Amino acid sequence: MQRMLKIDHLTKHYKDTVAVNDLDFEVKPGVVTGFLGPNGSGKSTTMRIILGLDHPTKGRATIDGNNYEDLRSPLHEVGALLDAKAVHPGRTARNHLRALAASNRIKRSRVEEVLEFVGISSVADKKVGGFSLGMSQRLGIASALLGDPPVLLFDEPVNGLDPEGIRWIREFFRSLAKEGRTVFVSSHLMSEMALTADQIIVIGRGALITQGSVDDLTATAQGTVLVRASDLTGLTRALEAKKALVQATSDSGLTVTGLTSEEVGDTAFKAGITIHELTPQRASLEEVFMDLTADSVEYGTSMPGAMPRE
Amino acid sequence: MSSDQTLLDVVKSEWIKFRTVRSSVMGVIVFFVLTLGLGGLISWAVRSHWNQTNGPSRLGFDPVSTSLAGILFAQFAVGVIGVLFITSEYSSSSIRTTLAAVSNRLRLISAKTIVLAASLILVSEVVCFATFLLGQAIFSGVVPSASLGSSDVLRSVLLAGLYLTLLTIAGFALGLIVRQSAACISIFVSVLLIVPIIFAFLPQSWQNSYAKYLPSELGRSMMSPFPAAHHLGAWNALIVLLVYVIIVSGVGVTLMIRRDA
Repeated sequence: MQRMLKIDHLTKHYKDTVAVNDLDFEVKPGVVTGFLGPNGSGKSTTMRIILGLDHPTKGRATIDGNNYEDLRSPLHEVGALLDAKAVHPGRTARNHLRALAASNRIKRSRVEEVLEFVGISSVADKKVGGFSLGMSQRLGIASALLGDPPVLLFDEPVNGLDPEGIRWIREFFRSLAKEGRTVFVSSHLMSEMALTADQIIVIGRGALITQGSVDDLTATAQGTVLVRASDLTGLTRALEAKKALVQATSDSGLTVTGLTSEEVGDTAFKAGITIHELTPQRASLEEVFMDLTADSVEYGTSMPGAMPRE
Repeated sequence: MSSDQTLLDVVKSEWIKFRTVRSSVMGVIVFFVLTLGLGGLISWAVRSHWNQTNGPSRLGFDPVSTSLAGILFAQFAVGVIGVLFITSEYSSSSIRTTLAAVSNRLRLISAKTIVLAASLILVSEVVCFATFLLGQAIFSGVVPSASLGSSDVLRSVLLAGLYLTLLTIAGFALGLIVRQSAACISIFVSVLLIVPIIFAFLPQSWQNSYAKYLPSELGRSMMSPFPAAHHLGAWNALIVLLVYVIIVSGVGVTLMIRRDA
């Protein structure tokens, strides 16, 4: 029942823009794989190609070697939540699910089961046009689960969920993975993925930037060292001589990039400067992500927090 | 292990979708009201003015097409039903959810066409026979009326229902090509309403040779017991209309399969 999702040298051009550029990776069963990238980096395009909605320019996306179009009973193979609002607004939630279920010969009782599971039974006979984003997300999750599929795709699933819903969905992804399913979740928030995913794939401008486990990614990140000393000017000079990047903190300390804490300590000792504090600081996953994607942010702001004024 | 998806599964699914949105249900109601209401009204007007109607007009009177006259207005209602059955999926992007469940696009279009054709042929035939009978009941005693016992009359009423069904399929196929509700409905109305008006300004000889191929004129030929001057016979008109529908559907299916959803 385990399925491997494979993205094989995938390229997608829309007119003159390159949305996905030679993307190549695998998503394994039994773990939650996070798919990270800034807005516009090609995550949704990749998801759409996996589902056979968009046709790739080059390469392919396969589920155990099959194109999505060739799946014999799609909802039993892959469950997906791409766009929670992609439902006819005039239809009720129950009828929406019933129509989907009928297309893949899924029993009516299963519709009631998934409605109950995501907690929208009480509004099942209301038109989905009036649903909040959170309710639509739950309906989307319900439709992804209809066929009890071994592969699950979620595009930005936490959008619109309240904190309780976010916690629920994290646990839910974990439990799906624990059952041996392939769980592929996209997000533009590294902090969210750090809590949810085991494996992470980072893309920017449609190309693969890095992939690995959450721990691997933080380990490879460049840490900084916080140091406080008697003679900050002297220490700065000494450290800069060692080609380190030194920045003064707001509370009379220095943040040193490019040297380990041992090296900083040794340098200070040789310069005859007394150290008051020496703390290695591990980069957060968020910083790693910002670092990795800095060159590939499509709609970057010029300066953090700087609002243009008249 | 689950069984493979079949065309029948998708037909069931599309039938649920068709009957659970207001646009199709309202469309059918409007279709009923327009055809019967206007057909009855026009027939009543003919009856009440029959005494003032002169000889030649009386001779040219056709009780069948007159009782079916509401169709000229109702055809827009069925067109809209066909158009919206697909364009509403694009406007709400529910087409993506649909295609994720039915990845074989040809199977999806076939299922939608079957649901649309089956429901519309049923509804249209009921409406056409009802308006015909209503009209004849209004005529009876005063105006010469027609009977379904005549094979030409029966054929006219049957083909009137088929004309409306084929228009619905054409609207649906147009929706596959254009994908936007408003644009699609405009094109549909233009072809049936505006193009004939433009034709009326062309030289008479052109009108005589080509006007009969306009969809609206094909409809007129199909639903009258006698072929009018410069018009095709009913069966030939049906064949031409079928060819149109097949061409538009062919383009629609090809584009639907090729394009990104």
